[in-house]
Amino acid sequence: MNEMPAIFGLAAGAARHAANRQAVIATNVANADTPGFRARDMAPFSVDDGFAPRRTRPDHMSGQGTAARSYEMRDVAADPNGNSVDLEDQVMRGLEAARMHDRALTVYRSSLDLMRAALGRR
Amino acid sequence: MAEFSDAFGVLSSGMRGQSQRLRHIAENIANVDTPGYRRKTVEFRAEVEQGRRTGGIETGPVQLRRGELPRINDPAHPMADAEGYYEGSNVELVTELADAREAQRSYEANLKMFEQVRRMSTQLMDILKR
Repeated sequence: MNEMPAIFGLAAGAARHAANRQAVIATNVANADTPGFRARDMAPFSVDDGFAPRRTRPDHMSGQGTAARSYEMRDVAADPNGNSVDLEDQVMRGLEAARMHDRALTVYRSSLDLMRAALGRR
Repeated sequence: MAEFSDAFGVLSSGMRGQSQRLRHIAENIANVDTPGYRRKTVEFRAEVEQGRRTGGIETGPVQLRRGELPRINDPAHPMADAEGYYEGSNVELVTELADAREAQRSYEANLKMFEQVRRMSTQLMDILKR
């Protein structure tokens, strides 16, 4: 029973990461024709095992804050106007983020069901 | 949830920009034979609110295509000068059609992403409803 809250936290973290990534991709798609815009993406979701550096004070610059980070995609060809958004690729990445979100929510929901069953409620 | 509402704002700004672009293309095509008409274009740039980029886009002022207008020989035309020439428009239909296709494609991508984000937020809501 003690493992249950951990899996909820994990599922919520994965869902939040997918939502953040989807927001980054939405920005790319909206800027598909903005001159000089560089496409961005986020690193895949990873579990914080307690050893990752973290920011304990908001005025510290380095380390991971609560806000997710995105990075500029470098190995992509750019248009003559400096825009590096490839629409097909972005739609595919969006689909991937949506699937990750689905998966996280499914895990969350079935854990919830499991917990309810354990409590004898349906 | 804030990511979703941000994404909605960004995507709708994208759709607004693309549809404005498409409207100018329609105006250009309608005026392809209007004497003295210059091709209109809008420029996209990153939207800035309170010194911070929102991620969305906004359109710059409408720009008219510079350069020479083609001189067309038609002595019967009411606007023809003494030598029988009048100035046409500098709209090129092929360019407009290609531009329209690109605008439509970008608009559809925005709409697709909008649908996807909407579906994700609905699913999140469904968990809350249980």
